[in-house]
Amino acid sequence: MSGTWMTTRAWLLMLPLLVVMLAVIGWPLADTVGLSFTDAKLVGTGGNFVGFDNYANMLSSANFSRTLVTTTLFAVISVAAEMVIGVLAALLLNQQFHGRAILRALMILPWALPTVVNATLWRLIYNPEYGALNAALTQLHLIDAYRSWLGEPGKALAALIVADCWKNFPLVALIALAALQAVPRDITAASLVDGAGAFNRFRFVILPYLAGPLMVALVLRTIEAFKVFDIIWVMTRGGPANSTRTLSILVYQEAFSFQRAGSGASLALIVTLLVTVLAIAYAALVRKTAGSAA
Amino acid sequence: MSALEIRDIRKSYGSVETLKGIDIALQSGEFLVLLGSSGCGKSTLLNIIAGLAEATSGDVLVGGRSILGVHPKNRDIAMVFQSYALYPNLTVHRNIGFGLEMRGVPADERDRAVHEAAKLLQIETLLDRKPSQLSGGQRQRVAIGRALVRKPQVFLFDEPLSNLDAKLRLEMRTELKRLHQMLQTTIVYVTHDQIEAMTLATRIAVMRDGRIEQLGTPEEIYDQPATLYVAGFVGAPSMNMLQAVFTDGKLAIADTDVRIPVPARYRNSARDGARVVVGIRPEALRVATGAATDLSLPVEIEVVELTGPELVTTARIGPQRLTACLPPRTRLAKSQTCSFAFDETALRLFDPATGKAFPDQSSRV
Repeated sequence: MSGTWMTTRAWLLMLPLLVVMLAVIGWPLADTVGLSFTDAKLVGTGGNFVGFDNYANMLSSANFSRTLVTTTLFAVISVAAEMVIGVLAALLLNQQFHGRAILRALMILPWALPTVVNATLWRLIYNPEYGALNAALTQLHLIDAYRSWLGEPGKALAALIVADCWKNFPLVALIALAALQAVPRDITAASLVDGAGAFNRFRFVILPYLAGPLMVALVLRTIEAFKVFDIIWVMTRGGPANSTRTLSILVYQEAFSFQRAGSGASLALIVTLLVTVLAIAYAALVRKTAGSAA
Repeated sequence: MSALEIRDIRKSYGSVETLKGIDIALQSGEFLVLLGSSGCGKSTLLNIIAGLAEATSGDVLVGGRSILGVHPKNRDIAMVFQSYALYPNLTVHRNIGFGLEMRGVPADERDRAVHEAAKLLQIETLLDRKPSQLSGGQRQRVAIGRALVRKPQVFLFDEPLSNLDAKLRLEMRTELKRLHQMLQTTIVYVTHDQIEAMTLATRIAVMRDGRIEQLGTPEEIYDQPATLYVAGFVGAPSMNMLQAVFTDGKLAIADTDVRIPVPARYRNSARDGARVVVGIRPEALRVATGAATDLSLPVEIEVVELTGPELVTTARIGPQRLTACLPPRTRLAKSQTCSFAFDETALRLFDPATGKAFPDQSSRV
């Protein structure tokens, strides 16, 4: 069978998928690009062509830079915490002990719950009048009075990060736990005989096997955290005083709350571009990690 | 004082006892091979010595000091694994020096020791490479280097040559023998390969079902197997086992008219009418020339296989089969009848009821 026919056949087989992808991704994307160069409102006419005005206005606005900082803070802190907690949980659940299977199953629960359920649960926990966190901290005499964890600008983002970690660390733990199964027993035994303590064993024996899979988890989680919307929308709607407003929330507000479709479209494309840059950078990192592990 | 002493070691997993009381004492410089088929407990015993598994009871002493309950790093032992167990992200240099690094040995001293070991193992040019850039044989040399560099009292080898191809295995076997002769280290070596055991060991412990079936020098194990199991396990082709009966001071080969004399050293064991298994190594048989004697077996040739250095011949004596390793130029054909002659000293008699060899008055086993 000739190579040309094989190539043609491969394209023919992929054609239905390409058509569907063009319809559901390509067309809306092209439409958004077109929209971003106009001053179109959500309702009404198509708007007038304004060139790069929307982009220039958005990039120079204080709202955008403040939101970018908030988003970056949210993404970096929550992903870092998820990585550390996830790996620690995986190391713990990799030990032999009674009830390990039950604990492994329970651990997946937060990740398996829909984000809306998880967010509602944490809103109840943080509730300033009857929330479990206030009750626990008061009874432990760590605070004197009930606080509005989601109502204070200084604390709301931290509270959201905790909720997001709770939801997503099981994914990292699952990936790490799977990777831990690949650590050869002989190498662990050799390191014991060689005199490596727990830290050196983790550094020299376990980490090389975890690095590749963790890099994949890092890529996935960073991209997801960067475009986070649902958990924040349910818990704070970007407040108080926009202190928890992330880029996705800003896009929503711009396009739907303020009904500035053209401006919203330009912001959405900026976010897409940022996420794409992140994805490419991480893909290069993953390739490098895989290469050095081989 | 023994370099390594294993006292009544037992190991159970629930109700299953995998080691049933192992006693071995090793002098400094001895090369002990634990030989046995899969599941006989040899690797479990090695792991107990290394501290990677706990014994249910018994004791292990290194240099007269009990090491049970002591962390593996403080046992003064080094171990080489079947899978090499090299750290994939470290260079050969750091792999070899890892044990010293973990013990806080200064870098210059470590570097000297690593180069010394690398020179001995002829891997000096590989020190900057990662394990993934090495062949199987080179990896195994690095693993041996990692053990050597620490200069422990006892070296443990867990089937170190099993992952190598046949040619490389032979080379590494010779290399290990050379190293042992040069360094005179105390070694415990686990394998299921009887050729490795025979060629490397100063003593072999043949293990079966968690027990030592026989402990002795390679010559003792080969020439005077204590049980039918050892006789069958060691040697390729394995020892011929002919069913016979003690009859009028002779050994009557079952279902034939063939009678051979009972060797003088077994006369005290010969009880008329008792069943006996006559063991004889294939290479102890030769084609008889001239008149038939008492010390020959009339056979009919069944299969002839030329392996190069020898002619492996399968023949029938009545309903029983017999294998002989003959010189390659021997002219034999299928269905030909002839006699296989042997020396009386080549016979080994076993009690089929107990599986043990009859007492041999000429030697102590």
